[in-house]
Amino acid sequence: MSLSEAQAESVGAAPPAAGPVHPPTGLWRDAWGRLRHNRSAVVGAAIIGLFVLIAVFAPLLAPEPPSSATFLERLGGRCCPGPSAAHWFGIDELGRDELSRILYGARTSLLIAVVSVSVGLTFGLLLGALAGYLRGIADTVVMRFVDILLAFPSFLFAIGLVALLGPGLVQIMVAIGVVNIPVFARLLRGSMLAVRESDYVLAARSVGVPPHRILLVHMLPNALSPVIVAATLAMATAIIEAAGLGFLGLGNPDPSVPEWGTMLANTPRFLQSAPHLAILPGVAIVLSVLGFNLVGDGLREAIDPKLRT
Amino acid sequence: MSYVTRRLLLLVPILLGVSLLVFVWIRALPGGPAQGLLGERTTPEAVQALERQYGLNRPLYVQYGRYLDSLVHLQLGTSITSRRPVAEEIRRRFPATAELALAAMAVAVAAGIPLGFLAAKRHHRAFDQLSLVGSLLGISIPVFFLALLLKYLFAVRLGWLPSLGRLDVTTDIAHPTNFYTIDAVLAGSPAALLDALRHLVLPAIALGTIPLAIITRITRAAVLDVMNEDYVRTARAKGIARRLVDRRHILRNALLPVSTVIGLQIGLLLSGAILTETVFAWGGMGTWIFDAVRFRDYPVLQGGILFLVIVFVLVNLVVDLSYALIDPRIRYR
Repeated sequence: MSLSEAQAESVGAAPPAAGPVHPPTGLWRDAWGRLRHNRSAVVGAAIIGLFVLIAVFAPLLAPEPPSSATFLERLGGRCCPGPSAAHWFGIDELGRDELSRILYGARTSLLIAVVSVSVGLTFGLLLGALAGYLRGIADTVVMRFVDILLAFPSFLFAIGLVALLGPGLVQIMVAIGVVNIPVFARLLRGSMLAVRESDYVLAARSVGVPPHRILLVHMLPNALSPVIVAATLAMATAIIEAAGLGFLGLGNPDPSVPEWGTMLANTPRFLQSAPHLAILPGVAIVLSVLGFNLVGDGLREAIDPKLRT
Repeated sequence: MSYVTRRLLLLVPILLGVSLLVFVWIRALPGGPAQGLLGERTTPEAVQALERQYGLNRPLYVQYGRYLDSLVHLQLGTSITSRRPVAEEIRRRFPATAELALAAMAVAVAAGIPLGFLAAKRHHRAFDQLSLVGSLLGISIPVFFLALLLKYLFAVRLGWLPSLGRLDVTTDIAHPTNFYTIDAVLAGSPAALLDALRHLVLPAIALGTIPLAIITRITRAAVLDVMNEDYVRTARAKGIARRLVDRRHILRNALLPVSTVIGLQIGLLLSGAILTETVFAWGGMGTWIFDAVRFRDYPVLQGGILFLVIVFVLVNLVVDLSYALIDPRIRYR
């Protein structure tokens, strides 16, 4: 008789437990199960999926290319015609089709979000794991450096980096990525330290699980879960920050690569005559950010059900 | 060593590190400070002469030493574009940003805590669901977009509130503090005070919405947490009036995590102020630093950014110390 059978037998005498008993599955499978049944997370995922589709198929979906020198002529000197049958979202101050530019803009925003968060994650995790694992002097040096970086308000930091690197898509991704590094580094270090002291790590150690297995199987998956949640929410912040840089005129200078924040940069001047130019790209930003926030919140609850309120 | 001493000592390496980073950043900017001072159309000779004049040809550690010395003596140089001393500009502009940020925080706290509390008390009911959706929207909307929407709706469309600046051009009062609301009170002019407040409403709501959303969420979660504590049940069982339990037992304990979050919003407010000030032409630090980036006004960048970061660090310090006051457990960690 195996150990579990013996346990089952001894439990058999006890009164039956209320509700069905599920066999143990695993951290991620449990989390996935909870996530699938979280309605708002599913809505968020659907929104993100929609934007990914738009980004991938923008050339097929958009009625026109995002920019062309000939578009200016059709304005006929008045700015800027609102929504019509030919141009569902109206025309911007350079005669370009607003819908096409918003569709193409999804590419830029999602690209910035994915790349910048990846940059921040990669370097932040390296630094955080290094500090949390090595402890001692490496920990002190890394964390004091992280403290200094976190002393800068994040958006000011990003502006400073773009000023340093010059305008451009790559530069924005690097700037937002670098701003994220100290955040992820501190998060992973903290969660590694917390996990290291937990009962299940102690239990694993006491039954003789080898150190590398403890690190990879027991510590890292548990330490990573808050990082995954933070990364999803960081995508939302990255979209907002990129749009903010664009709004300040620090965005990508190439007019053939539309970006939602940059599209909003000139709109204060046309607020009276063409409010649609200010509203529509903004709605696109809000929706995409909302998608990532919904999924991030859902992930947080799925990974740690105690947080559900 | 006491918590306060430890926390103050920790400030020294952070401030040194921050000043070093800003110093290196300025020197790494394309063109360099001398080029920046002289503009695009200049000769290499002129650049060299200026570098000699400002000691920019000396070794970097000498330059950093001199830079620290000038910081200690509050000599921040002169703006290239306005030709005014940077320290004087800061005295004029920082109160504008501080006034906006404080007003935004007031909006966020005054609305966020009651909303969060009510949502928790009506857990799973319509108001609760509405507060969740609202706060989710609040954290998903970029501050400049909200600013544009508010400006369009309440200034351009309805014409209820002014859309630009801090005061009407016809309002003429002295500015001893540069906090225009305080100046108006000092001048004893109710009309000026009303005018300053009317200008403050839209920017403060725009800037305060994200912190408002976050504070609502955290208050709701904290109140839900505390509501199920044993001491709350005990208090109810003792027959203490519901209101008193709400105030003394639930809210007071729930406010601790909320106060942490309020402290964390300060960086967000400073960042958001740059964008909000741009939309409403608010003459504060944000628009000033933003213009300095565009015109490569190096003395302004160096002085202004360093000043903002130091304010940020000091405010965080005050927040940390006040937690230790509110929650004695922190001091012993």
